[in-house]
Amino acid sequence: MTILCMGMFYSLLSGQTAYTLSGRVVDENERPLPGATIAVLPGSKVTQSNTEGYFQLNDLYENSYTLTVSFMGYDSYTDTLYIENDRTCTIRLRQTSVSLQEVVVTHDYADEKKKEGALPVDIVTKRFLWQNMGGSLMQSLQILPGVSSLDIGAGQSKPIIRGLGFNRVIVVENGMKHEAQQWGSDHGLEVDQYAVENVEVIKGPLSLLYGSEAIGGVIDMKSRTYYPENTFGGSVDLSGKTSNQFLGTSVSLYGRRKSFFADLRATVLDYGDYTVPTDSVNIYSYRAPLYKHHLRNTAGKEQNIHFSFGVIRPEFESRFYLSNIHTKNGFFANAHGLEPLNVDTEMHDASNRDSHYPYQDVNHFKINNITRYRWTAENYVETQLGFQRNIRDEWSQYISHGYMPSQFPDTLGFTSDLERAFDKSVYSGRMTLALKKDKKTFNAGINAEYQDNKIDGRGFIIPAFKQIAVGGYLFGKLTIGAKSVLQAGIRYDFGRIMTEEYFDWFPSPLTNEPASEYRHLQRAHHIDRRFSSISWSAGYNLNLERWSFKSNIGKSFRMPIAKELAANGVNYHQFSYEVGNPDLSPEMAYQWDVGADYVYNRLSAGISPFVNYFTNYIYLNPTSEHDRLYGNGNQVFYYMQSRVLRYGAEMHVEYQILPQIRIGWTGEYVYSEQLSGVKKGFTLPFSPPPSMRLHAGYLTKKLAGGIENAYVSLDHIITAPQNNIVPPEDPTPGHQVLNIGAGGDLKWGKQPIQVSLQIQNLLNTKYFNHTSYYKLIHVPEPGRNIVIHISIPFSGKIKST
Amino acid sequence: MKKISFIWVFLLSMSAFVSCEKEEIDKEKPQIDIDFEGAFPQNCATVYFGVPFEVKTLFRDNVELGSYRIDIHHNFDHHSHSTEVSECTPDPVKEAVNPYVFIQDYPLPGGQEEFLTDLSITLPASNDKGPFEDGDYHFMITLTDKQGWSTQKGLSIKIRHQEPK
Repeated sequence: MTILCMGMFYSLLSGQTAYTLSGRVVDENERPLPGATIAVLPGSKVTQSNTEGYFQLNDLYENSYTLTVSFMGYDSYTDTLYIENDRTCTIRLRQTSVSLQEVVVTHDYADEKKKEGALPVDIVTKRFLWQNMGGSLMQSLQILPGVSSLDIGAGQSKPIIRGLGFNRVIVVENGMKHEAQQWGSDHGLEVDQYAVENVEVIKGPLSLLYGSEAIGGVIDMKSRTYYPENTFGGSVDLSGKTSNQFLGTSVSLYGRRKSFFADLRATVLDYGDYTVPTDSVNIYSYRAPLYKHHLRNTAGKEQNIHFSFGVIRPEFESRFYLSNIHTKNGFFANAHGLEPLNVDTEMHDASNRDSHYPYQDVNHFKINNITRYRWTAENYVETQLGFQRNIRDEWSQYISHGYMPSQFPDTLGFTSDLERAFDKSVYSGRMTLALKKDKKTFNAGINAEYQDNKIDGRGFIIPAFKQIAVGGYLFGKLTIGAKSVLQAGIRYDFGRIMTEEYFDWFPSPLTNEPASEYRHLQRAHHIDRRFSSISWSAGYNLNLERWSFKSNIGKSFRMPIAKELAANGVNYHQFSYEVGNPDLSPEMAYQWDVGADYVYNRLSAGISPFVNYFTNYIYLNPTSEHDRLYGNGNQVFYYMQSRVLRYGAEMHVEYQILPQIRIGWTGEYVYSEQLSGVKKGFTLPFSPPPSMRLHAGYLTKKLAGGIENAYVSLDHIITAPQNNIVPPEDPTPGHQVLNIGAGGDLKWGKQPIQVSLQIQNLLNTKYFNHTSYYKLIHVPEPGRNIVIHISIPFSGKIKST
Repeated sequence: MKKISFIWVFLLSMSAFVSCEKEEIDKEKPQIDIDFEGAFPQNCATVYFGVPFEVKTLFRDNVELGSYRIDIHHNFDHHSHSTEVSECTPDPVKEAVNPYVFIQDYPLPGGQEEFLTDLSITLPASNDKGPFEDGDYHFMITLTDKQGWSTQKGLSIKIRHQEPK
């Protein structure tokens, strides 16, 4: 590691003069390192080297600066420079002997993102995910303020950002929008937690890139993107959890020869029924005893495979991502279906590792290409083309409901035990142009998506449908002086949705008379609707030495989904009968976000409040009616619209007591109220209660015995009661949960082994999560859970010939 | 400093929303009352296939009642209901072969805060598979109010075939 700086002297007459630090980052063989992070303190100026390794930092004043240059897979470089004139340096980085497979979305990068974006953003790395590993990716992320997960069971969850979820949060994986059955309450996110290297959570509306329906926010996940030239590497990851006797293994192997790379990963997970600290649960007035605290039939399996390959050249990059995620997991047997009593406990309790009926089998296949051509570091064209297919089959024993025949006919083309099936194919593409000149950035893009959704099975909830969405956007960013950034974007979306009609496969009587005529009832009519709207956002950032401020105002728009327009069936998890409304108008939302952050010395603190207003929020309204034709007289819910006001904030304070010891506090609060309609004055369903987290952590770079990055952490999560509810919810009492964690990078010979150990719910507290579907049937959260994760990375050089 | 004051303006405008007068909303579930003279069925009551019986329960709500439903299903496996704790002396556990199932919903007249049911039910004695099995049954009442809140009451009853005279 060397640095070579040359001062260029010229006489200066004025008092406070701005200087420039420029230079180049190279490796030991003098090859440029593009994308290295160059940061100077004070002033927190950060930049990245361009394709040729060059960088430039402007507006430095006569002072002593700490320069840090970091690049993944290389030892980072730190030095103190006294700037009294323009300087040019060449920084040579040495490759790390054994590169750890963790992608450091370095603090600098995260910091830069936070300062540049006008919306609150959290960026987490793989290391964070392992240290906070929950049953699913979303459960691992819910420790972030403003983020929660809507769970059904231990491993199925979907994201909620500031109280909004389902189709109001966009999930992006490797640059492609994840499209599955987001509408379904019991449908988790088909994502392999092991393949995710880093996650960006954007809290707030309007994703210019992926569509305006991201009213709640965006979860942007990336796999490994960085491959050093002529190297190979990989890792073996092993994890275990006691609460559901979870065993997980994920193996990855990659290599890059000159500009060609390939990366393969396989993941296998196997888990049993999860345990809860209770003997029985109350399912809508039925008491179901639990055998050995096991939540009957919630075991499952998952097999995932990922393959990516492509070309990385300074001016041209093309990456292909292929993946297949396959899961099979059981539903809690007592709570599924119309008759909670119909459970064969002997069969279900014989083993806690098998899934019988009812279960779901989900397969998600993706192929995606991202190609980028750049003529300078920040001027490029990027295209994305992808296809994905989501097949979800839900199986349960055939029971005739309503007027279904007691003997299932074999002439229908589906088997009697297939309760519902959804098959979605999505073709999507987008093109982005990015231009940057001096302090002006300009982006433009177009995207298009076509969806074909088929349905199958004996049960009906939503019809088959086809959907087209196209959109385009313009975005501009202007850096004013050294301290402030102004940005604005505008987007146009057009969408068309065509639902198919659906008739029951069995005849029902038209009236209650004994001699009534029997017909196949029509449950869904053909709907063809078009929507279009303009959405926009404008934001401003001011970054001072200790303070930084941001403000953003935006309008977003979401067209109604097939379920909201045309649902007409039983939700087996809520014993509700859900009816769509074909006349719904698209949701319009306005949101104002502000943020203030303070960083000085050992203290950092911040607050990010928001106000959000919907002119016509779409929600499922419970009524006093009971359904008559389709079974057990379930309560009927209709989709309706109302004006909704929401506001809230996330807050954090951290203090570094000692170089190794840090304490912190984070808090989150959301309030929602319906301002019109039949539920005027009520909140929205599944409103997260206020919560806070007290955190103390010890982290040391090197510990005796060669342990690196050793840490011990203690988290105390305090959640307030939620009494702000809508029917059919019950208030959720407040609770406190204690989690502890410890770990570090051990060495076995020269081989590093990363170990993290957690005990979640240390005191085995019985508590309820207001945003869990199982809370409606009084299933508490998992009891004490010991989680261990071991990661064994390896890497080496490929000899160049 | 200017920037800090704009945060304050934001926080103040938010608190203005909070302090807006809250409208009274209905947060109360309706109630099912069988605790009066002449209420039927009571826990452990017996009804007979083919013989009409009167359902007499009192429904109450703080605002307006919605509708109710009655669901009769077998309890041959002795599964429990959480709304009534006292169990009657049950018949031995048995496998359900041809149990009787009854599900029916009934709207309630609008604008009522209180309603006494006046409902006569006659259970058929058999279906195309033969006579229904007698024994332990659950008699479930579900009541909703206009706002969509719902309450359940589960009672253990016995359904018998009439003794041949």
